[in-house]
Amino acid sequence: MNESLLFLIPLLPLCCAVINMVFGMRLPRLFAEVLAVTGVAGAFVLTLLFWGYAEGEGTRAVLFTWLNSGSVDISFALNFDRLAAPMTLMVTGVASLIHLYAVGYMHEEEDYARFFSLLNLFVFAMLAIILADNLLVLFLGWEGVGLCSYGLIGFWYRKLENAKAGVKAFLVTRVGDVFLAIALLWLFAITGTLSISEINAQATSISPSVVIAVSLLLLLGACGKSAQLPLMTWLADAMAGPTPVSALIHAATMVTAGVYLLCRLFPLVSLSPVAMTAITAIGALTAIYAATCALAQREIKRVLAYSTMSQVGYMFMAVGAGSVAGAMFHLLTHAFFKAVLFMAAGCVIHLAGEENDIFKMGGLTRRGPVELFWVFLAGAVCLAGLPLTGGFFSKDGILLALFTHPDPFYRVFWLIGVITALLTAFYTFRLVYLVFAGEYRGVGHPHALPLLMRWPLWPLAFIGLLGGLLNLPAFVGGSETLHHWYDNLAGRRVIASHEVEWMLILLAVAIAAVGWFAAHWRYRIYRAPQANALSRFLLNGWYADTIVDRLFVRPFAAMGRFCSSGCDRTLFDGTLNGLAKMATGWSSLIVQMTTGRLTTYLSAFAWGFLVLLGWFLLKLVSGGGH
Amino acid sequence: MTELTSLPQFPWLSLLVVLPLAGALLCLMHRKRPADCRALSLATSLAVFGVALYLFICHGQGEGRWLLYEDVSWIERYGARYVLALDGIALLMVLLTSFMQVSAVLLAWRVERHVSSFFALLLLLEAGLMGIFLAYDLVLFYLFWEVALIPMFFLISVWGGANRRQAALKFFLYTLVGSFFMLIAIIALYQIHGAQSGVYSFVIGDLLQTQLTAAQEGWLFAGFMAAFIVKSPLVPFHTWLTDALTESPAAGSLDLTGLLLKTGIYGLIRVAFPLFPNATESFLPILAVFALVGLFHAAWSAYHQDDIKRLLAYSSISHLGLVVLGLAAWQLTAWEGSILLMVTHGITTGALFVLVALIQERTGTRSMKELGGLWGQTPCLGFLFLLFSLASLGLPGLANFAGEILVLLGTFQQHPFWAVIALLGVVFAAAYMLRLVQGVLWGPVYKERSLPDLTLREWIILLPMAILIVWMGVYPEPFLAPMHGTVASLLAGGLP
Amino acid sequence: MMIPFGHALAFAAALFVLGLTCVLLRRQVIMILVGVEIMLNAASLVFVAASAYWQQADGQVFVIILMAITAAEVAVALAMVVYLWRRKRSLVADVFNGMRG
Repeated sequence: MNESLLFLIPLLPLCCAVINMVFGMRLPRLFAEVLAVTGVAGAFVLTLLFWGYAEGEGTRAVLFTWLNSGSVDISFALNFDRLAAPMTLMVTGVASLIHLYAVGYMHEEEDYARFFSLLNLFVFAMLAIILADNLLVLFLGWEGVGLCSYGLIGFWYRKLENAKAGVKAFLVTRVGDVFLAIALLWLFAITGTLSISEINAQATSISPSVVIAVSLLLLLGACGKSAQLPLMTWLADAMAGPTPVSALIHAATMVTAGVYLLCRLFPLVSLSPVAMTAITAIGALTAIYAATCALAQREIKRVLAYSTMSQVGYMFMAVGAGSVAGAMFHLLTHAFFKAVLFMAAGCVIHLAGEENDIFKMGGLTRRGPVELFWVFLAGAVCLAGLPLTGGFFSKDGILLALFTHPDPFYRVFWLIGVITALLTAFYTFRLVYLVFAGEYRGVGHPHALPLLMRWPLWPLAFIGLLGGLLNLPAFVGGSETLHHWYDNLAGRRVIASHEVEWMLILLAVAIAAVGWFAAHWRYRIYRAPQANALSRFLLNGWYADTIVDRLFVRPFAAMGRFCSSGCDRTLFDGTLNGLAKMATGWSSLIVQMTTGRLTTYLSAFAWGFLVLLGWFLLKLVSGGGH
Repeated sequence: MTELTSLPQFPWLSLLVVLPLAGALLCLMHRKRPADCRALSLATSLAVFGVALYLFICHGQGEGRWLLYEDVSWIERYGARYVLALDGIALLMVLLTSFMQVSAVLLAWRVERHVSSFFALLLLLEAGLMGIFLAYDLVLFYLFWEVALIPMFFLISVWGGANRRQAALKFFLYTLVGSFFMLIAIIALYQIHGAQSGVYSFVIGDLLQTQLTAAQEGWLFAGFMAAFIVKSPLVPFHTWLTDALTESPAAGSLDLTGLLLKTGIYGLIRVAFPLFPNATESFLPILAVFALVGLFHAAWSAYHQDDIKRLLAYSSISHLGLVVLGLAAWQLTAWEGSILLMVTHGITTGALFVLVALIQERTGTRSMKELGGLWGQTPCLGFLFLLFSLASLGLPGLANFAGEILVLLGTFQQHPFWAVIALLGVVFAAAYMLRLVQGVLWGPVYKERSLPDLTLREWIILLPMAILIVWMGVYPEPFLAPMHGTVASLLAGGLP
Repeated sequence: MMIPFGHALAFAAALFVLGLTCVLLRRQVIMILVGVEIMLNAASLVFVAASAYWQQADGQVFVIILMAITAAEVAVALAMVVYLWRRKRSLVADVFNGMRG
C-alpha cells in the first residue's frame, strides 16, 4: 500500500467536518451524526490497518509543498512512527466512543451540524499534531485544536459566559503558542529545518545554552495547551462547554498535546538537565496546586477539570524524570478513565436535572441506572490509584521514575507526587460520596438517559481498569509492552531494585487507602459545607484568575484606552487639529486686510506708490553717486 | 532596459490602465441610466480582471527582472517617458487590484445617489491604482499617485458616513502634504542626475545610476519617505486612516484598505529602496521600530474600539506594521512573506469590511454595544465573519498565516529580537479579533429582528474571497512563485 | 517768454498732490472722481510743458488723446455712479464693502 494513504487518517475526519459544516443542516440528522462518527471511527480503523507502518523507524509521507521561499521549504508531511501510533489509536478510539456519546447527549440540540463538524475538525487538528513530521504542521494542528476548543467551549454562545470562557481558553493558550512559535523560529534559524526528526538528530550539535532556552520555550508552549502553571486559568472555565467536549478535549486529547510535544522533541529537551528539572518542577507544582483546588470545588466538572490538570502534571513529571514511556503510559490510561469520568459526570448532571453542584446531589445510585455508579466508580478507582487498576500502575511508574532519578533533588518532586496522590484519592472519593451516597439533596427532575450515553462508557471503563496491562512492570510479572514498543524512544530506562519497587507499591496502596478512608470519614455522612477563607481560596483556584486579571487584563485594557483615546485622539489628532487651527488663525488675521472698502484700497495704492517712488529715488541717488 | 517580451506588440499594461479610464468616461456619459452604469462598470472591472488573470497565468513563473515593459516617449523636453513595467511583485498587486475592484463594484450595486459618478470614480480609482503599480517613470508615478487620491476624496466626502467631510479633508490634506515632499524630492533628484550625467530623465531605471552624497541621499530619501510613511501608514502618521475608513462608503473602504494602503509600501519597494540604497540601510532599524510600535499601538487601540469598522481600521494598521517589519528585515523570506501578507491582508480585511457593510445595512448600527448574537440570526454571514476573522488573526491553514510565518521566519534569521517582539503582537491580534467576534456574533441577541441572510450577490462577492484565503493558506506556491526572482534581485543590488 | 520747465513741473506736481489728497480724503464717490480728474489734468500739464520745453508736438497730441480718454472714462464712471446710487441710495464710498473678507 502506498504510504500516502496514511494521509487518510487525518483527512477523513476533516472531510466529514467540512461536509457537515456545509451541508449538515440540510441533511437528515441521522446522516450528519453517522457521518461524524464514521469520520473518526474510520480513522481508528485505518490506524489499525496501517499499524505495520509504524514499526521500526516509522513511515514518512509527504503530500505537497506548503511554503517554499528562500531557505524555507516546508511541506505537509506526516511521520507515523512508534510514538505516534499508540497515541493516534487512543485519540481516534476514545474520540469515536465520545462521538457516540455525544450523539446521545446532544440529541435535543438544534445546531448539531456545527457541533459535529467542530468535533471532527478537532480530531483532525489533534491528528495533525500527533502525526506531524515538521513543527509547522504541528503548529497548524496546535492552533487548530485551540480554535476548535474555542468554538466548542463557547458552543452555547447565547450565554455570554460560555463565549467568554472560550475566548479565555483561546487567549491563554495563545500566550503559550507565542513561546512555541519563538522556539520554532529559533530552531529554524539554528538548524535550517523544521522537520522534527532532523531537529532531534541535530540536537547534540546545538549549543547548550540554546538548548536550555529552546527547551524552556517549548515547555511554556506545552504549558499553555496542557493547562499547567502559569497558563492554567482557562481549564476550569472551559467546563462551560458540553460534556462530550470536556471529555474529549479537556481530558483525553488537547491537554495531553503539551506532553506529546515534549515527548516528540525529547532528544532535544533531554539534553539539558536544567530544562528537565524545570519540566518536572512545573509538573509537580501544578499537580499539587490542582489537587488542592479540587478539594474545594463544588461543581462536578470543575473537580474533574482540576483533577485533569493534576494528572497532566504527573505526565510532565514523568517526562522531566526522563521516562517517555512512563509519561505516555499515564497519558493513555488517564485518557480512558478520565473520559469515562467525564461522560459519567454528564449522565450524572442529566440525572440531577442539569444541576452541577455536587452538594445538591447525592443518592444518585437509586435515581439512575445502577451501572452508572459502577462505571463512575471504575473511573474513580483508577484516578485514585487503587491497586491493580490502570491508573495505579501508571502513576506508580512515574513515582518510581522520580524516586530512582540520579539527581537526588528529584526526591522532592517524588514527595510532592506522593502528597498529591494522597490528595487525589481524597478528592476522588469525596466526589463519589457526595454524588452517589446518602439521600438526594437536590430539587431537580431527572432527565432520561439515552442509550447512547450509557453504552460507550463500558468499553472505556474496562480499558481503564485493565489498562495496567499495557505496561505492567516486570517485577509483578508483566512484560512492559509499551516500554518495549517505544524502544529507543522510551527515554531513560528506570532501573530499581525489587525492594524499592515493592516499597513504593506498598506506599501507593497505603496512600490510596488513607485517602479513601479520610474521604469516607468526612463525606460518607453528609454535612453541609462551611465556607471559610481557605475553602474560598481553594475554590477560586488560589485566586489565580484575579491575579491574572489585575496583572494583565486590566492593564491591557487600560493601555488600549491610552493608545486610542489618549494618543490617537488627544495627541495625534490634537496636534493636527492644532495645526489646522493655527492656519485658520493666521488666515483670519490676514483676512482683515480685505475690508472691501474703496478708501482702504486707495490708501494702499498711495502708500505703495510712495514706497516705490522712494525706492526708485534711492536707487537713483545711490546709482548717481558712483 | 527595454527587454521585450513574448508579446511585444500588444500593450497589455496600458490596457490595464486605459480600460478603467474608458469605463469611467462612459459611465459619466450615461448619467440618466444608472442600470447601464452598473453593468458597464461590472463589465469593465471583469475585463480588467480578465487581463490581469491572463497576465498572471502567462507570466506566473517569474524569470528575469521584467515580465513586461512598455516604453513610449512622452514629454521629451523634460525627459519624462511613459514607461510601464511589470515584474513579479507588480503582477501580484495588479491581480489583487483587479480582483478587489470587481468585489467593490458588486458591493456598490445598491448605491442610490449619483450612481454614474460613483462608478466613474471607482473606475478612475482603479486606473490610478494600476498606474501606481505599473509606472516606472517618476513623473508618471507621481501623476498616478495623485490620480488615485482624488476619486477617494470624493467617494468619502459625498457618499460617506456622518463625519465624512472632515474625514475626507483630513485624508486628502495629509496624503497631499506627504506627496508634496515627494514631488520636491523627485525634482531635486532629476536635477542632480541631470547635472551629473548630462541626461535629464525621470525614468527610474536611469536615475538608479545617480551618484549621491550622503547628505543629498538622506534628504531625498526623507522626501520620498514622507509620502510613503503617510500612505503606509506608519504610526504616528496614521490617524487619517481610521477616520477615512470609518466614514467611507463600503466600496470605498474596500479599495482604501485593500489597495490604497498597499501603494505606500509598494512605493518603498519600487522607488525609495532601490534609488537610495545607503540611506535605506541606515534607515531600516528606524523603520523596524516604527513598524513594531505601529503593530502594538494599533492592536491596543483596536482592542478599545466599539465601532467595528474603526476596529478593523486599526487592525489594518497593525497588519501593515508587520508587513513593513518584514521589509525592514531585508531578507528574502521576510520580503516574500511581506508581499504575500500584503495580498492576503487585502483580501481578508477587505472581506471583513464587506461583512461589516452588510451588517450595517441589516441592523443599521456599527457599535458592538448594539450588536450580538448575530450567529443565530444570520448563520451564513456569521460563519463567513468568523472565517475571515480567524484568517485575520493568523490561524494556520488560512491566508494571513502563510505570510506572517514567512515574515517571522525570515526576520528571525536577521534580527531575532524584532521577530520575538512581533510575535507578541500575535497575541494582541487574537485579543481584539476575538473581542470583535464576540461582540458581533456571540452573546444574547441584542434586539430581536428578522435579518435576511446572505443574498446571491453577497455570496458572489464573499465566496471567491473565502476560497482564496483557504487556498492561499494551504498552497500559496502559485502566489509566491512570481516573486522569487524579483525579490532576490531587489535585495541583492537594489535593482528592480 | 518761456515759462521755466521746472516751474511747470512743480505746478503739475502740486496739482497732482492736491488731486491725490482729494482722492484719499474724500468720502463721496463723485468727489473721488473729481480728484482723479485733477490728477489726470496734472499729468496732461506735464505733457504740455514737456512739449513746449523740447519743442515737439508729440506732447500736445498726447494731451488731446488724454482728454478724449478722460471724457470716455468719466462717462463710464458717472454711469456707474448712477447705478451705485440706485443700489444703495448713498454715494459714500465706504458703504460699498460687499467684497469684504
